[in-house]
Amino acid sequence: MTNSDKINEKEELAKQLVLARIDVMPSSFELSIGDKGTFTKKQIIEEINKNSEVGKQVIDMQLNFIKALSTGKLTQTLTQ
Amino acid sequence: MGKILFLTCPEWDNGTQYLSRYSTLIIQQAKKLNIEYKAFYKDEAIPEKTTKYLIKKQPSLIFINGHGDEKSLEGDKDKILFSVDKNLNLLKNKITYARACNAGNLLGKKIAEKGKTCFIGYKSPFSFWIDNKRCSTPLKDKIASLFLLPSNEIIISLLKGKTAKQANEISKKMMVKNMLKIVKMNEKKEPGAMAWLSLLWNNYSGQVLLGEDNLKFN
Repeated sequence: MTNSDKINEKEELAKQLVLARIDVMPSSFELSIGDKGTFTKKQIIEEINKNSEVGKQVIDMQLNFIKALSTGKLTQTLTQ
Repeated sequence: MGKILFLTCPEWDNGTQYLSRYSTLIIQQAKKLNIEYKAFYKDEAIPEKTTKYLIKKQPSLIFINGHGDEKSLEGDKDKILFSVDKNLNLLKNKITYARACNAGNLLGKKIAEKGKTCFIGYKSPFSFWIDNKRCSTPLKDKIASLFLLPSNEIIISLLKGKTAKQANEISKKMMVKNMLKIVKMNEKKEPGAMAWLSLLWNNYSGQVLLGEDNLKFN
């Protein structure tokens, strides 16, 4: 597996995770992302599926979170 | 230089309306502490008005609510208040907190280079979840408050005489406390808790303090 394949695999995993997490969210919740605007649950799912800039930003935030989980940084922060 | 809190509170979309509404809690605190403040709401948050005030009154604490990017901070409807090429000198020898996206990457560094100056902001998007059932009463939105009250704490701590470093730490501690609350919500199978946690983590890890961290609001 090449490095690029590994990155794609990580992004795909993050995408599936975000979609699963958003899916269980009550429909009244909206996400406000800076200058990108405020997005309903349905809109976020659409943005992720069409791989838009907003979708990519949501995935990036998820990747950052996964990194913090896997490196132990999140646990370390929460237990300090 | 005046011991004055300067705020911009544009309100032209849901996100900025929430930021503006949560800023009223800061104004309440300023009033309680008898601290002079000047807030530029809605269409007053434009460079024609804010620049004039900054030159005349020289407020020492600057709080920018709104949209931003690596190179600029905006007021009403995308009007640029500060950028790497505009008005940066007005922030010299002051403490600035930008509750906006990404300005900690480049703009914040440029601001912090100028004299006895401090910048607190984000090197990532500043994001939060809202419950649209609470759109007309944002201060009662329990989910949004998990994100916005810790950010308010930066200015409130400065008003109370803490250093910029302490204010940043107090805000981050509150974020940790809120992340632990969300972990508990997740244990109780609260739908969406993990999505809230990942977003709050991003705000936490993206919040940066640049420049002189021992400055106080004087």
